[in-house]
Amino acid sequence: MNMLGVVQARFPAPEFDNYKVPLIQLENIVADVTPWRILLLTLFLVVGAVLFYKYRSRKGMLFLSLAGLTLFGFVLKSCPCPVGMFQNIAEGVANGTYVPLGILLLFTLPLVCALFYGRVFCGGACPLGALQELLHWHTLTIPLALDRVLRLIPILLLLLCSACAACGLGFPLCYLEPYLPIFVLNFATPLAILSAVFIVVGLFVSRPFCRFVCPYGALLRFCTLFAVKKPVITVKECVNCKLCEQGCPNGAVLPPEPDTSTATRRKGSRRLSTLVACIPLALFLGGLLGYFAAPAMSSMHRDVRLLRDVETKQQTLEVEAFEAQGSSLNELKARAVHAQNKTLVCMTLCGMLFGACAMAELIAESRRRREENSYSIDASLCFCCGRCYAACPLERKEKTHEK
Amino acid sequence: MTLRELLKVMTGALLATPFLQLFRKKEETGYYWQIDPDKCIQCGKCETECVLPRSAVKCVHQYASCGYCLFCSGYYQDKRIEFNTAGENLRCPTDAIVRTYVEDPYFEYKIDEEKCIGCGKCVKGCASFGNGSLFLQVRRHLCKDCNECRIAKVCPSGAFTRVPADKPYIFRHPPEVKS
Repeated sequence: MNMLGVVQARFPAPEFDNYKVPLIQLENIVADVTPWRILLLTLFLVVGAVLFYKYRSRKGMLFLSLAGLTLFGFVLKSCPCPVGMFQNIAEGVANGTYVPLGILLLFTLPLVCALFYGRVFCGGACPLGALQELLHWHTLTIPLALDRVLRLIPILLLLLCSACAACGLGFPLCYLEPYLPIFVLNFATPLAILSAVFIVVGLFVSRPFCRFVCPYGALLRFCTLFAVKKPVITVKECVNCKLCEQGCPNGAVLPPEPDTSTATRRKGSRRLSTLVACIPLALFLGGLLGYFAAPAMSSMHRDVRLLRDVETKQQTLEVEAFEAQGSSLNELKARAVHAQNKTLVCMTLCGMLFGACAMAELIAESRRRREENSYSIDASLCFCCGRCYAACPLERKEKTHEK
Repeated sequence: MTLRELLKVMTGALLATPFLQLFRKKEETGYYWQIDPDKCIQCGKCETECVLPRSAVKCVHQYASCGYCLFCSGYYQDKRIEFNTAGENLRCPTDAIVRTYVEDPYFEYKIDEEKCIGCGKCVKGCASFGNGSLFLQVRRHLCKDCNECRIAKVCPSGAFTRVPADKPYIFRHPPEVKS
């Protein structure tokens, strides 16, 4: 039996008297919306920055994120979104495959914006962020230690997904995107369970995806460290009323830090030097972990799996297709070995980088902050929602005064 | 140069690296998902794996290579509700192939796209017993262009490829008619 059905005229076309053989009627690409996306994204980022820094408006940011939800989420469809595009780029850089310019721009624009104005993208343009903002009901504070540990997940996911994409294992983040069923209105997929879990958690924990899953958020967080302009709660003398800290559900408002005594300072510097000395150990451990995780990862690769099935003579569809296509076994073997080696290198690098990132987080935690007498915002964790502006009594007084 | 400035420069360099791609010599493989009909083995996963409630993959009829068989392996009009393991299970499960009389003894077979679910049963039959004029294609007006196509991930024969925007479909080569 000819499985592949390579076209062969078993039955030559008949000669009709008066009947014209119709042509295939297929629609072309409906519309390439990428230029529109880029234009809209730029517009949203600029408007977001103006609303957040100039007008300091909570309502404005809320309306902007709503518009982002409708436009980027439902009208332009959520996929492909900047959140998952780092995978395309990792794949393109590692394998030299084609990455369209549109994707490059969509990926870079929010990061460039973060270098100037912080995470305006999260609060203004991201449809996933907007959905979580809307579906938040009551804030439960997460214990500090747990929050710090969970904060490492985005970094881990960023490195792991990039490694997977680079090794040709597909884009795993796309299977973790819990809000996709809502945007395509299909609730019959297994993803819908994840969606339900995230929505229920999101009712009590503010922005669970943004804070504890989103790998793009980790990139934005890193870029925001160098932001030119950072949000400030009040320009006037802070009265330390604590309202902004209570108002922020994301834990981005830092309490004032009075000058600490020299005793704790010495202790702190000792801790810091211990941590710095531990960096090589962390790198080694991370690399080791990645090295040992690599075989399990590479066994998920298409060619490696196919080779195993062919060698153990299993009757899978893949083997059937392989035999029908008549490809050579040696070529497959070479491809599988190549994939395995690539995964080994990528995973080791990924483990080492994660070790470095975890150490950097620890060092940043133990570093003594500058003396501060008023409440301030940690720009790298701030989603630019504007809640603290709305909560600040000084700000409100000024706004009513203006009116 | 302070550490902060150095980090700033490094971040800028990191952000710029993807743009080096633009200077690289590469084949423009395109961005849109499509099925290579020569590789497809009609496993039926296109019907079930798409993120959409109704798959964006549908059967396409290339009339030019149709043999106008009296017995089309996909055509099946029957009021039977249940499909069992016998021959009827190899036919179109939704009656999506419509037959119109052309002239004796030929019929034109047309695919009713509202009914087609992209299961590929007719494709399998046509490839095995006919000219292979039926094949599956991702329909561009239905496809959401997901970054990671769920069907491509599970496709056993690796038939899913990315195509450029100006050539969104992969047709079969016209048949060589033996004289």
